[in-house]
Amino acid sequence: MMYMNKTIEELHDLLINDKVTPEELVDESLKLSKEVQDKCNAFVTIIDKPKIMPVSENMLSGIPFGIKDNYSTEGILSTGSSNTLKDYVPFYTATAVQNLEKCGAIAINKTALDEFGMGGTGTTCHTGTVRNPWNLKRMCAGSSSGSAAAVAAGVYPFALGSDTGDSIRKPAAYCGIVGYKPTYGMISRYGLFPFASSLDHCGCLTRSVKDAAIVVDAMKGIDKNDQTSWDSSNMHLYESIDGKVKGKKLFYIKNVVDLDYYQNPTDEFVSHINNFHKTIEILEKCGVTVEGIEIDRNLLNAIPSVYVCLSCAEATSNMSNLTGIIFGPRGNGENINEMMKDHRTKGFSPLIKRRFVIGSYILQKENQEKYFVNAQRVRRLIVDKMKELFKTYDGLIMPVGTGIAPFLDNPKDSVSNDDVSVLEEHLQIGNFGGFPSITIPDGFIDDMPVGINITGNCYDDINVLNIAYALEREMPYKNQIAKEVEK
Amino acid sequence: MKFTKELVDNLADKLLIGLTEEENKLVLDEFDIIDQNMELITKIPDIDDVEPMTHTLDDFEYELRSDEKEESIPIEKLLQNCKSHEGREIEVPKIVG
Repeated sequence: MMYMNKTIEELHDLLINDKVTPEELVDESLKLSKEVQDKCNAFVTIIDKPKIMPVSENMLSGIPFGIKDNYSTEGILSTGSSNTLKDYVPFYTATAVQNLEKCGAIAINKTALDEFGMGGTGTTCHTGTVRNPWNLKRMCAGSSSGSAAAVAAGVYPFALGSDTGDSIRKPAAYCGIVGYKPTYGMISRYGLFPFASSLDHCGCLTRSVKDAAIVVDAMKGIDKNDQTSWDSSNMHLYESIDGKVKGKKLFYIKNVVDLDYYQNPTDEFVSHINNFHKTIEILEKCGVTVEGIEIDRNLLNAIPSVYVCLSCAEATSNMSNLTGIIFGPRGNGENINEMMKDHRTKGFSPLIKRRFVIGSYILQKENQEKYFVNAQRVRRLIVDKMKELFKTYDGLIMPVGTGIAPFLDNPKDSVSNDDVSVLEEHLQIGNFGGFPSITIPDGFIDDMPVGINITGNCYDDINVLNIAYALEREMPYKNQIAKEVEK
Repeated sequence: MKFTKELVDNLADKLLIGLTEEENKLVLDEFDIIDQNMELITKIPDIDDVEPMTHTLDDFEYELRSDEKEESIPIEKLLQNCKSHEGREIEVPKIVG
């Protein structure tokens, strides 16, 4: 019998009734890890002997899970998928992971990511490219590539992700699963390797909305080691999901989603947009009002640039500690500067170096006000606009990206000035504002999954989860496992 | 020409990063587009008086944690990542003199 294709709720039921043991679940998950590693290259580390935890009333007790390799795990290699930390074994565990382990969840492996989370393709991991379990020639997106691949392939019911621009929510869409990042600060970032601190969120990838709520319930909580974390002890996400959405109001950004705004759209793009509108109809049948609204195009067009500007600048600063002196392999050289430069030159991949150079450019004295500070100002304008709309609406609903997962030999991880860039990158709004945001699968195009995203106001996680749950219930994609297709 | 190979190398050098010829070209080839995209930020009118947003949650209040004595991390754990040490002493590059 297979167990890892079940939800957390189902597995807990089996465990608590002695129908299966944690040992059996771990054995199956380890076996599947090895199979998925051969096909998808999803892991940096598969843990030899995971620590078996006893079954308790806690829904996560005895449940196997995966950890993105940018979370610190004591005694277990934590590389951030970078050669700069290829041998790094932390002496402490990230709070979010610790919280899960306290519930009795069992870590099985560390998943591969775009180097330090700075990429959206899963092609820049120091262990090589991560492949999409639905079609091995296609990408998973990133940066939580390995976590998305593993959950979609049914290695376990959940894995941790992190999300600075869309790094949980886009891989979820490309892999046909659920990706949820809660409000900024609900989960402590202590022990998460920083990329851009004002945009970084912890979160999870699962195959159902309720599972996502269970996992974040366990991960969250105020933490003295993260000053930006806040007390959410009065929020019980899983228990609060009731599927009652009649009377709720959502909006989508009409001048990004409607086909009328695009010249010569591809068939895939048209199918993607049509699928979005079909999903909207399903929600409307549940009693939800969905309205298309227009937002100033100049403001929308600035979203990807604001993201590049702020994330690259913050990353440049955050990663200045990667010198090979305090951790990582020490570089060669006559003096300390040469040693640090040697370490950084050899350790970082070309794509991450590109982002650093952009960050360096933005932070030059002559550019700081023009680019960096103005990007911070535009960030506020975008967030203020969303908050104004959240006074009228329960949330924003949008298709994820412009279609299905691209082929690996044609990655999109380069700068772009085409007219689809806002649709491709709009999930970054969720990071600008720290908004709770969830992607769920909502259909297939050419046998590949696509996703839809719901984003709400800060602290309104329960509302966002509830709408996602109501929609999930009406569609046949809950808890789907990737079926490999060759095309 | 606004962007040159030397400028790209200089920007990387300020971060103590060396670029190969290919890496330099990768950045240089894209810098015009990057710059055009950055200009989109400057197209938003009347933003001089907008307060720059540096943090996600506007209603956030920092609280200093209480000054309590805590256990420090055992030296043995810290030394796990250190390849060259003698006892508790870590070998570091010579910096002075």
